Amino acid sequence: MTFQQFAYHNVVRNARVYAAFLLASIFSVLVFFVYSMLMFHPNIEDQFIQNIAFGGMFIAQVILIIFTLFFLFYSMSAFLQARSQEFGVLLNLGMDKRQLNRMIFLETMILGVISTAVGIFFGFSFSKFFLMVIREMFLLDSLPLYLSWKPFTLTILVFLSLYIIISFGSSIFIRKKNIIQLLKGYSKQNEHETYSKGRAILGLLLLLAAYSLVIFSLFNLKFYMSFIIIILAFVGTYLFYTDSILYLLGVIRKHKNLYWHSFRLIAFAEGSIKIRENAKMFFIVTVVSTIAFLSVGVVTSFTSFTAQYREMNPVSIFYSSNWDNPFEEEHVMKLSQELQKEGLSYELVKFTVKKQTSSNLRNQVNLIKESEVNSLAVALKIPLIDLKNGEAIIIPNSLEDYKGIRTEDEQTVLEESSIPIQIKGVYDRVIFPSLAIKDRSLIISDEDYELITEPLYGYGLRESSLTFYAYHVSEWLRTKDVGTDLDRIMTQSMGTSNVNPNSFYFSNPGLNYSIIQATFSLLLFTGLLVAAVLLLAAGSFVYFKLYTDLERDKKQYDVLRRMGVTDKELVKIVNRQLIPQFFLPWGLAMVHSTFSFMFLQAFWVDLAAVSIAMEMLLVLIAFTIIQVSYFFLIRWRYITHIY
Amino acid sequence: MSILMLEEITKVYEGKVAHLAINQLSFEVEKGEFLAVMGPSGSGKTTLLNLISTIDRPTSGDMMINGLDPLLLKSNDLSLFRRRQLGFVFQDFNLLPALTVEENMVLPLTLDEQPVSVMKQKVNRIAEQLDLTSILEKRPFEISGGQAQRTAIGRALIHEPSIILADEPTGNLDSKAARDVLELLSNVNKKSNTTIIMVTHDPIAASYCDRVLFIKDGEYFNEIYKDDRRQTFFQRILNVLSLLGGNVNDLSTIRLS
Repeated sequence: MTFQQFAYHNVVRNARVYAAFLLASIFSVLVFFVYSMLMFHPNIEDQFIQNIAFGGMFIAQVILIIFTLFFLFYSMSAFLQARSQEFGVLLNLGMDKRQLNRMIFLETMILGVISTAVGIFFGFSFSKFFLMVIREMFLLDSLPLYLSWKPFTLTILVFLSLYIIISFGSSIFIRKKNIIQLLKGYSKQNEHETYSKGRAILGLLLLLAAYSLVIFSLFNLKFYMSFIIIILAFVGTYLFYTDSILYLLGVIRKHKNLYWHSFRLIAFAEGSIKIRENAKMFFIVTVVSTIAFLSVGVVTSFTSFTAQYREMNPVSIFYSSNWDNPFEEEHVMKLSQELQKEGLSYELVKFTVKKQTSSNLRNQVNLIKESEVNSLAVALKIPLIDLKNGEAIIIPNSLEDYKGIRTEDEQTVLEESSIPIQIKGVYDRVIFPSLAIKDRSLIISDEDYELITEPLYGYGLRESSLTFYAYHVSEWLRTKDVGTDLDRIMTQSMGTSNVNPNSFYFSNPGLNYSIIQATFSLLLFTGLLVAAVLLLAAGSFVYFKLYTDLERDKKQYDVLRRMGVTDKELVKIVNRQLIPQFFLPWGLAMVHSTFSFMFLQAFWVDLAAVSIAMEMLLVLIAFTIIQVSYFFLIRWRYITHIY
Repeated sequence: MSILMLEEITKVYEGKVAHLAINQLSFEVEKGEFLAVMGPSGSGKTTLLNLISTIDRPTSGDMMINGLDPLLLKSNDLSLFRRRQLGFVFQDFNLLPALTVEENMVLPLTLDEQPVSVMKQKVNRIAEQLDLTSILEKRPFEISGGQAQRTAIGRALIHEPSIILADEPTGNLDSKAARDVLELLSNVNKKSNTTIIMVTHDPIAASYCDRVLFIKDGEYFNEIYKDDRRQTFFQRILNVLSLLGGNVNDLSTIRLS
């Protein structure tokens, strides 16, 4: 048997121990490879989407690498710890440390090569599917599978170097110990509880402070607050696992009336050992799960944003033109052509808006013809309006505007043409983009509209009117390629200000929406995959920990069974030991995310008046279900091992 | 009155090669008796102890513990039976590493959901008896082997079982600690009239008992009762052991008793 064969056998014959670990690393390679496939895709030529895709994927890749490095390092050292007795025997038999390091290096590299190869294999097999998903998300025309050396090289380079770093790093662990320490095995179980009361209380206080700040923010939102909250919660969580929870358990254990009660004795004592052993892992899992819950929650909340977005922008493509606009005909023609080119059916409603001065506003108002509004209403399938002569309805410029307008009847006179009108109320929908209309707009009856013959004071007849073109396209999400050059002019000339220097205004909610949607979908896709990798890794770690402690646990349960613990009670004890390991990080992550959602909600309300309460509830429930089923799966494996 | 009665107990381990671990073994143990079971490795001592512990079922034969037939009990009742009637002492102590000495001792009582005041009272009395009062708050990895085994004995005694089953209780101890543990067991046996069945390799350990039962290849081989002096009893145990170590064929001709 050569040295290489020895290392190979060590890996292959420990397959059961390595299985979960290997699975998690294969999965992270897979995800990394898929991201790379997308990053290097030749068909993503659209500069904008490429930017988002590249940026998002790049961040995801970096997170993935950092996390994988951490996960690999942590599990490798745990593996080596579990095998320290074996290494002790080898050293005792005369293996020198250099050989031992070489063996560990070889073993790690075997694992590395296997997981990289298998990961890339599956990554490539699934990449067609992933590219299809991405295509749907970005509403791209085609995103075919391609073959290029770039993603392969990147993945192989990154992961092999990762494994080389790990194998050098983990052999340091062995180098520091001498044979006798290794032979005795390594166990944190035989250590004293090391928590300090000060740190314990500090941890609780930090968490409390973070939560209170969140609640405070609900009333008085400050953006910089989020950084303080994150730091407080981060440190607080760490201390919570390393000290606070042990301190709390210690307090309970001092009260014998609580503590000396059927299985609590075993459960609490074992629980505090397991928590001490896994504090750092719990911390990581909590942070990771919180981020996962949050990203998924935020992205899910986007679905409610879609509905609201549609409500705010019912007209698919809107073009308004002032009297001095020389491009009016050219632009409208072009828009219609582009719509036809895209194969989209549309209805075009043209509004000729007249301007007059309102007597009680002492300001200009836009007057819109009832029949024109109704023809748009027919296209949009919204209720028609019916106005009598002399009546008018205000059109709100935005949803907030709608809530702000007084609704009492009001008498006014259109001064230039001396037409008295009575404002009967507010139209209950927003129909025109808020930026298109500077002044108050009123809908009046066709007869009254015809009576307006006089121009604004100081203007000609032509100058006191403007034209709106409202396109209704039922497939409004597909209009993203229509009017892209007009949109570019608008964004370039307006920037983020509300002042429109052009003589026309153009807005295409479909295009804007597709940008927002692409960004969010990408976040979702990236977030979900990273979260899946992280959760799988965390799960594999719990499994591994259980597996290494199995022999010891088995013996302990055997003693308990002899002492007369019934099978039912044994399951209860197992539950009490496993539940904290699964649900403590999960529980804290839930509390964290609930508070983060509250903060985000406060933020969202400012931003878009969207409520994400329902979505976040769904996300939390979904994660709970996943976690519970995972718990039952592991518990089932554990119990079959124990019996 | 016999507290334990075995009749024609046979245990066969099924497998590719069936293995006869215990073959038609019958004996009785009186209440308050301190019995040692001796025999060479592979003679079925541990199997026998497991059968009496009711965690293993005999293939055939009858058994009575304290007037009850454990073979008739369902597994749940069997657990409760063990919880109340039996106490265990193991070679490697098997204390739960997470619990302190005190907690390890009260464990059987907490499983039985006794009131805390009763538990405290009992644990204090036992700790005093076993000289563990000073280390009650220590964890198992902080105490010596002798202290650990005394803790384990405390755990076996605390719920006042009818029988204590000890599997090589001195196997992992140095001679001084072993002697302490044996004297302790013997004291407990005399003072509280607790029945103890101890499996051992060690003739010194066996010499503390009232009676030594020898088994070989799962069958009854011999038994001897103690006499006034431990030295002579020890000598007689050694004699039987030397016979046990020999060839089976020679034994039939010079069988004692």
